[in-house]
Amino acid sequence: MCQNHKEPSTNPSHFESTPSGDEILTHRDLLWEDYQNLIQGMRFFDPHIHMVSRTTDDYQMMAKAGIVAIIEPAFWVGQPRTGLSSFKDYYSSLVGWERFRSSQFGIKHYCTMGLNSREANNERLAEEVMEILPLFAYKEGVVGIGEIGFDDQTPLEEKYYRLQLELAKKAKLPVQIHTPHRDKKRGTERSMSIALEHGLDPSWVVVDHNNEETVKSVLDQGFWAAFTIYPFTKMGNERMVTVVEKYGPERIMINSSADWGISDPLAIPKTAALMKQRGIPVDVIRMVTYQNAIDAFAKSGQIDVTDFETEFQPDPNAKFHGNSILRGGQQPVPNKNSLFIQ
Amino acid sequence: MTDIPTNLTQFLFEQTTKLEREWLEEQTQKNDLDLMTAFVATPRFLSKKMVFNDSKSNGGLVPECNGFQVNGWSLVRLARVWLLLHLPSVPKDQFVKNIETLFDTAELNELVALYSALPLLPYPWEWLPRATDAVRSNMGFVFDSIALLNPYPELYFSELAWNQLVLKTIFNGKPIDLIYGIDRRKNKDLAIAISDFISERFAAGRKIPLQIWRLVAPFSDETTFPNLINLLESELKAEREVAALVCFESKNPNVHSLLSKYPDLELSIKNGELDWSKIESIP
Ligand SMILES: [Zn+2]
Repeated sequence: MCQNHKEPSTNPSHFESTPSGDEILTHRDLLWEDYQNLIQGMRFFDPHIHMVSRTTDDYQMMAKAGIVAIIEPAFWVGQPRTGLSSFKDYYSSLVGWERFRSSQFGIKHYCTMGLNSREANNERLAEEVMEILPLFAYKEGVVGIGEIGFDDQTPLEEKYYRLQLELAKKAKLPVQIHTPHRDKKRGTERSMSIALEHGLDPSWVVVDHNNEETVKSVLDQGFWAAFTIYPFTKMGNERMVTVVEKYGPERIMINSSADWGISDPLAIPKTAALMKQRGIPVDVIRMVTYQNAIDAFAKSGQIDVTDFETEFQPDPNAKFHGNSILRGGQQPVPNKNSLFIQ
Repeated sequence: MTDIPTNLTQFLFEQTTKLEREWLEEQTQKNDLDLMTAFVATPRFLSKKMVFNDSKSNGGLVPECNGFQVNGWSLVRLARVWLLLHLPSVPKDQFVKNIETLFDTAELNELVALYSALPLLPYPWEWLPRATDAVRSNMGFVFDSIALLNPYPELYFSELAWNQLVLKTIFNGKPIDLIYGIDRRKNKDLAIAISDFISERFAAGRKIPLQIWRLVAPFSDETTFPNLINLLESELKAEREVAALVCFESKNPNVHSLLSKYPDLELSIKNGELDWSKIESIP
């Protein structure tokens, strides 16, 4: 292993502590509330968001902004898990409680299952996780194996990446690839060539966290190219507009990857508003913020669009395992503009 | 388990399409982990329809396990139980570990299938902690799968666990007549607990499900008197009838003799016109 980067173990994956020098923050007077009308009536699908680390406020804002369905990839929760039980509980929460919580805000929740690349480096635990992973991969509402791939690009990461590609093939599930922050270009190429080597059809593989440098090769090789609109570290939405202008909407999708870092669960509607403002046609916006993600992940056979395309009212009295999201007498939709918190 | 009950297999295959049947048969040729995965993956390969079987008409789907029934199950639940019976049951340690793993990773519908399978699995005592735990569960479907129409609790629960199951069923407002073996496992402690519950409800001016009196009846004594007299003088016919049944079944002569003041009711019991089946089920 001959990696050459600064702080291999202190960089969480969706969040780089050292902002790249070429992105300078400037003050802007564009306020989200002034532009929401641009996306009136649009529907959005966020194929990558970690709701386990988000709040109910986020769910409420997301629903209000038109997000009707999401995919939560299994990933790193910010600190290493120390035993198999933590993985079991985490995976169970993705198909259980979190899905229920989401439904309470009228948002359909799917997930992808996988052992993340960081934790692939703990071989003893990784072996145990691989034993139980099939039991989660086949559960209802699991739309892919993800997010898997490389972080530090170690041999162990490669080993478990390959094993999970085989699981995806066997389970007939799409794959969602997390590409590394450091040495991204090489990591992305390597991820794709290994997927092809295992005989995966690139139209079943979503390569995530792309940038201007990786997008062409990903599209040329027939993969889906996903872009993460994540402040400071990945993609800004102005840059995103330029990418869509340049490459068109085919096989391109946008996500927020919002997680426990400084991120924005409204990244998709905000980008859609910006695209609208810049004159990008509505059908193009619809493809990159909604339809392409559905087309890619519906190959799992687990997405039924009538679940979120028909008007759907959450049942405020519903319970999950007898537990409600509402605490003593709370109403599901409080008035956020009121000074009184009742 | 080496012997898969023939009637069960036959009934399952009657419910499946050719493709579904082929998928199921293919799974039984596989190793432990693949079989366990098939248990999880069943909804991806089988339709979600419900199945109906009046098992009394043909001597039961599993003749050696009285009370095991699948009526009103989903096809997926039935198929999952059947798949579990194909897991190699030796060595014991491995079998127990496999079932425990399935419990640990299960979502709600899988839990329901696992609890439904308990009366058929080998090493029945191994599952006792799981089963008693399910009774404490907040998950309605999971609770039902162990408490209602499942022969496992009657066979293996201690009296304490059994009583908890019955009380929780009452508390959850579910029909006690669906607890398999309910009349065979009546006991004094349970009767006392239910009597207390009845008094508490009466004191609060609240109604109780009339069916629960049947668990008190054989053990009723002077302490039950006030509540019984209330009932016998009730304006509601059903309440008078329940009180009569309690008096009739009581082994306490003083309670029993209360009935002599209501000859009409006594007569209809003796003529077999009035019994517990005539009393409303718990809603
Ligand atoms: Zn992620």
